[in-house]
Parts: sequence; structure tokens; C-alpha cells
Amino acid sequence: MGSLFSQIATVTVMNVRSLPRRLWMSLAMVLASAVVVAILLAFLAMARGFERTMDGAGSEGTAILMREGAASEINSVISREQVNLVEASPGIARDAEGPLVSPELYVIVDGIKKSTDSEANIALRGLNARGMAMRENMQLLEGRLFTPGTNEMIVGAGVLREFDGFAVGDEVRFGKNVWRVVGVFSTSGSAFESELWADVKVIQSLYDRGSSVQTVRAKLENPGDLAPLEKTIEQEPRLNLEVQTEQAYFAGQGKQLQYMAIFGRVISFVMALGALAGALNTMYTSVADRAREIATLRALGFSSFSAFCGTLAEALVLAIAGGLLGSLAAFLFFDGLNASTFGGSFTQVVFRFEMSPDLLLQGAWLALVIGFVSGFFPAWRAARLPVIVAFRNAA
Amino acid sequence: MTDFYLIVKNMTRKPLRLFLTCFAIFIAFLIFGAVTTLKGALDSGIDLAADDRLVVVNRINFTNPLPISYYRKVAAMEGVRNVTHMNWFGGYYQDPTQQLVTMAVEPESYLRVYDEVVIEPEQRSAWLQDRQGALIGEKLAKIHGWKIGDRIPISSSIFSHRDGGHTWDFVVSGIFTGENEQYDTGYLVFHYKYFMETQTFGGDTIGWLTLTTEDPSLNEAVAKRIDESFANSQYETDTSTEKAFNKAFIEQIGNIGLIIFGVVFMAFFTILVVVGNTMALAIRERTGEIAVLKTLGFSSARIFRMVLSESLLVALIGGLAGLAAAWFLIEGAKAAMARFLPNLVMGGDTVLQAIGFMLLLGLITGLLPAINALRLNIVTAFNRG
Repeated sequence: MGSLFSQIATVTVMNVRSLPRRLWMSLAMVLASAVVVAILLAFLAMARGFERTMDGAGSEGTAILMREGAASEINSVISREQVNLVEASPGIARDAEGPLVSPELYVIVDGIKKSTDSEANIALRGLNARGMAMRENMQLLEGRLFTPGTNEMIVGAGVLREFDGFAVGDEVRFGKNVWRVVGVFSTSGSAFESELWADVKVIQSLYDRGSSVQTVRAKLENPGDLAPLEKTIEQEPRLNLEVQTEQAYFAGQGKQLQYMAIFGRVISFVMALGALAGALNTMYTSVADRAREIATLRALGFSSFSAFCGTLAEALVLAIAGGLLGSLAAFLFFDGLNASTFGGSFTQVVFRFEMSPDLLLQGAWLALVIGFVSGFFPAWRAARLPVIVAFRNAA
Repeated sequence: MTDFYLIVKNMTRKPLRLFLTCFAIFIAFLIFGAVTTLKGALDSGIDLAADDRLVVVNRINFTNPLPISYYRKVAAMEGVRNVTHMNWFGGYYQDPTQQLVTMAVEPESYLRVYDEVVIEPEQRSAWLQDRQGALIGEKLAKIHGWKIGDRIPISSSIFSHRDGGHTWDFVVSGIFTGENEQYDTGYLVFHYKYFMETQTFGGDTIGWLTLTTEDPSLNEAVAKRIDESFANSQYETDTSTEKAFNKAFIEQIGNIGLIIFGVVFMAFFTILVVVGNTMALAIRERTGEIAVLKTLGFSSARIFRMVLSESLLVALIGGLAGLAAAWFLIEGAKAAMARFLPNLVMGGDTVLQAIGFMLLLGLITGLLPAINALRLNIVTAFNRG
């Protein structure tokens, strides 16, 4: 007899080649493993896609100021006087025209969602040219920017994807005000793409906001350095504001679908238990089916360890095949899938499912665990089966 | 020796396999029961909404305000029975991440419009008289252990108090229950006047109007009348039934819900396919034995029944256990989830649906082997064996 290694290889090849004999049971195991992996990946891809959309929106170099206690932009109010005080603060980058500060308004309007044909909330953001320049990854895909002082707006690519009636040239009615779409912009898939942008002054007058705004964004002199702004707020009692980097703000909002990832892990763990039961059945059947073979090999002098490894390898092969199938299915069905849900500011955030390599790796691990556990116990039985008993049972 | 004895003996000949099969079915129905109940709880807002109630919101979006003058104007319209107005307060108790459904309302008309709110007469009059008073739902009272007379500080993530800060003190004037068990009592209402006097901005605006009509058949006409009378004003309105409004709101959570439930149900069916395969195989293995039974004089019909009963039994054992586990899980999670999902109750239709699937599983997996057994020719069977 050859070395232990060649014994194991021989048994493994034999097992795998006898798989067609147990076609249905083997397919069942592949399917079970595939489903569990696909489910895990679907949930993780959803949470990941949403997080990516939010994270991508925030810049470390921009500070966002809101009224203290207002957890999201929609709840905040900032007066003109407060905006002026912020503009005078140190720590803010300046150019020839003055401090790089963008006072912004955030109004919620209705749009008709394509998927459900019903009304859903969209954010209509009022901002100026400085504000747009602050979104470094902003790109005009179509048309032109809105002209300040007019009822023109530009729409995010996400809005265009998920909602009806926002193509360039369309007239959109919110209440009694009519807006004209003049351009489409992208911000590399981040949350801003789910918004409509128009001139802040026009929104102030059309929606009775006087001179107040909701948030102030400021370009920081040193990215990430909020200390000078924090000091200004502390020393000035009229500034009841909170400051954080835009990145921190959106990272907080991105956590929102985190529960999806948790839910997905729980569901796929429970499902994995069910799949394991199915896989164990398959492997026990396989061992019973090959009892005579195993006994013959053992009688020929193959070690029981090689019988063990052969069965384990068979289980791993089936589980991995299932894992691959599940990953492929999840990738085909879910990667890039368009979805939208409520974001932190009570408006729709359009995002895409994202199936990144590290998620696929998690799926692969799950398949391996299923394969190992479902192979181990039947393999143990195969290895321990006394030769005489095996022959008698198989006869 | 009864047939049942034989069925049980057949079933338990490989206890490990029986256990594994039942366990997989158990898991499948555990997930089915839990997820279907969860979905039902999410949708319950639609089913519970009253038919004859209309909601009037700002045409732009329901988060935009309406002027208070609309309250009197709508009240005077033909076909309107009762109308009340509400403001969303954005409330929370101590922890800003735990939203507390809090609304500022016009008290008397509120109780008229929401006639499913049940409250003791003396608590009712106490609330109407105390401007700082709040009416809280039984569920909310239970979660926080609040009693009548308690002073409770509720903060707002939207509004600021005139005296600084964002926290309002309310006195619990009354604790209400719902007319039926499903009514969600997990919220708090307080006086609009108190709200207007103590907050720093907003003026005389209201969030939305809720009204009842003289008769549900008038709904459309009334809705049209309201919207038309405010058309081309600074504040145009959008009137819909409460049901349609709730449905639109829930749909905003979006297709992610749809995707999730789709995925989970697909998984549920796949597990059934996998398990069904094992079950069918387990019976096919016994072709030889069935031939023996036939030789002994068992009628084909009798064997058919036995085979089918066996697979039905396996499906029901695993399935009912799974459903029961789902029920315990939900009962256990109920208290913790009451805040987000008030109607977490496993409905009768969920149970019926689940039992339907169990029977289907048992029938499909049993039928083919049973038919084979029925047709089995003894001679060929022995030759094969």
C-alpha cells in the first residue's frame, strides 16, 4: 500500500466519482448549502450597499452644523444671524470671495416612486454654488446647473432611477409651485444622488422660510479639525449649535440598516441549522450507500483514517459547490440591485446592493463550516464501521 | 398489529434520519411563522385604519405644515362630521434614539375623531382641564411604568422650549386603552395650546387634519371638496383615506421589505424541497418491503394510505413543532419589540397557511412513492431487490 496521502486521495476520488449514484441526495445538499449562502449574502449586500451610499456622502474636510439636539438635517433650524456668526469663525477655509460656507435648506416633497406607483418623500435641498463646489465628487451628467434666483432645479441620478417625472426638461409641481428640471447630477453613488437641488434663496421664499436655513456646511481649513469651530460655539451663547464632520454625520446615518445585517446573520444562522440537518442526512446516506466499498477498502488494508477523510472530502466538495452556486446566484440577482428606503432625514435614500469580495468570503466560510460539520460525523461513522458489520449490512 | 403501529415502526427505523428530517422541517416552519408574523405586524397599520377617516396633509408633502385656519374651514364643510388637527412633536424620553410617538392635538375633537380610544370619564375631564396634561396609551404606560399624576419629561428632536432646552414637562392625566386589542396604544397626546405657548417657533401651524365623514360613501366627494377649496392657495392640500395614507407611508420603507420577504420565502421553499427529497427517498428505499407486504395480502389501497400517512406525519411533527417554537419566540419578543411593532401577533391565517404548506409537503413527498407502491408489481420488485 502507498502512503497515507495516496490512500486518502484514492478514497476521495472514488467517493466523488460515485456521486452520480446518489445524484438526488447530493443535489439536495448542494441546494441546501447554496440557499443558506445566498441568503446571508443578500442581507449583507443590502446593509453594505446602504452603508456605502451614506459613507460616500460625507467628507472629512467639511463640517456640518445643526441645532443642538437635532439628530438629522430635517429637524434643524439655523437663523441668518447664526449663519453670520459661523462665517466669522476661525478654522474655516476662505477664498477671494470670503469664507467657504454653505447655508442649506432641506424641504421634503412628494414624488411618485416607479416601483410602487405611490407617493414617497424626496429631499429638495436648497443650496448655492459654494455648496455644490463643496461636494467634490459631484458631476453634471446631463443638462446644466440651475440659474440662481429661478425656479430651476437639478436632480440626482438616484431620483431619476427610482422616481417618475424628473427627466431634464420636465416641469414638476410641488404644491402650487412649478419647477423646471434643467440637469442631472451624480455624486458617485452617494446619498446626495437621492436629492433634488435648487437655489436656497428661491426655496426660502417659496416655502416661507424667511431668512432661516436648516444646516450650515463649512469647508475646514484643516480637514477633520473641528476645534476652532467648537471653540466659537462654546464662547458664543447665541450659537446653540452642534458641529461634526460631514463624514461622521453620514456614517451615523449609514448605521441605520445595520439591523438588516444582524437580521440576515440570525436568519441565515437558523437556516444553516436546517440546511445542516439536510446535509447530514445526505452524508449518512452516502456512508450507508458505500458501506460495502468502505468495508472492501478496509479489508484491503486502507486505514480507517483514509475512509474518514474520503467522506469528509465528499461533504466539503458538495458544500463548496453549493456555496459557489449560492454566491453566483446572489451575485447575479442582488449585486447592483436598486433599492430605496427611508433615510435618517425622513426621505428616500436610493442605493444599490453591493456584493463585495469580503462578503463573498464570508459566504465561502459558511459553506465550509456546513461541509465540515455535515461531513465530520458521518465520516466518523464510516471510519469506525467494523468490516464484518459493513459486509453483513451491505449484503 | 394496527396500521398505525406499522407506520410508526417504519418512520422510526432510522431514528437519526427521522430526527434530522423533522429538524429541518422544524427550522423551515419556525422561520416561516416568525417572518410571516413580522410581515403582518408591519402591514397592520393599513388593516387597522378606519374606513371613514380622512387625512388632510400639505400637498407638497405631509411633513410640511398647514395653517390652523384650515381647521375651522374644514369643520364647516358639508359631509364632515368631526375634524381634529395634530402636530408631530418628534418626541423621545431620555434616549434620543428611541422615538416616542408624541402628538400635539386639539383635545376635545381628538377624542371625537378617534372614538376607538377608550378612557374613563373622570380621566377624560381631568385631561381636558389640565393644559399641561398628557394622555398616554396603556402600552406606553406599561413600558415606562408611568402612572396617573406622574410628571414626565419628554424631549423633542425638532422643537425648542421657550425657557431653553428641548424638554417639556407633562402630567399624566389619563391612560387610555383601545376599543379592541389590536389598537396600538403606544403613543402620547397633549394639548396643542400648551405646545404653541411654549415652543419658540412655528407660529399658528398644524401638521395635518384628521376627520370623519358623515358616511364612508361620501369620502371621495368630501376629499375632493377639501382639496378644491384650497387649490391655488399658498397651502394646497392632499386628502386621502387614512388607509391609503398609511399604506403609502409603509410603502416608503420600500422594496427592501419586499426583497427580504421574497428571499426568506424562497429559502423556506428550498428547504422544503431538500427535505421532501430525503423523505421521498426514504420510502423508495423500501420497495422490497412493500412487495413483501403485498405478498402477505395487504391491499394496494391500504399500503397507499400507510405510505402517505407516514410522510404527512413527518411533515406535521416537524412543522407544528416549528410553528409552536415561532409562537413562543414571538411571545417572548413581544415585550421587547412593542415599541416598534405593536401588532406582533401570530394570526390565524398564518397558522392555517403554515398547516396548508405542511400538508402539501407531506402529500407531495408521499404521493409519488405511494403511487409507485400502489402500482408495484410484486415479481418485478423482488427481481429488482
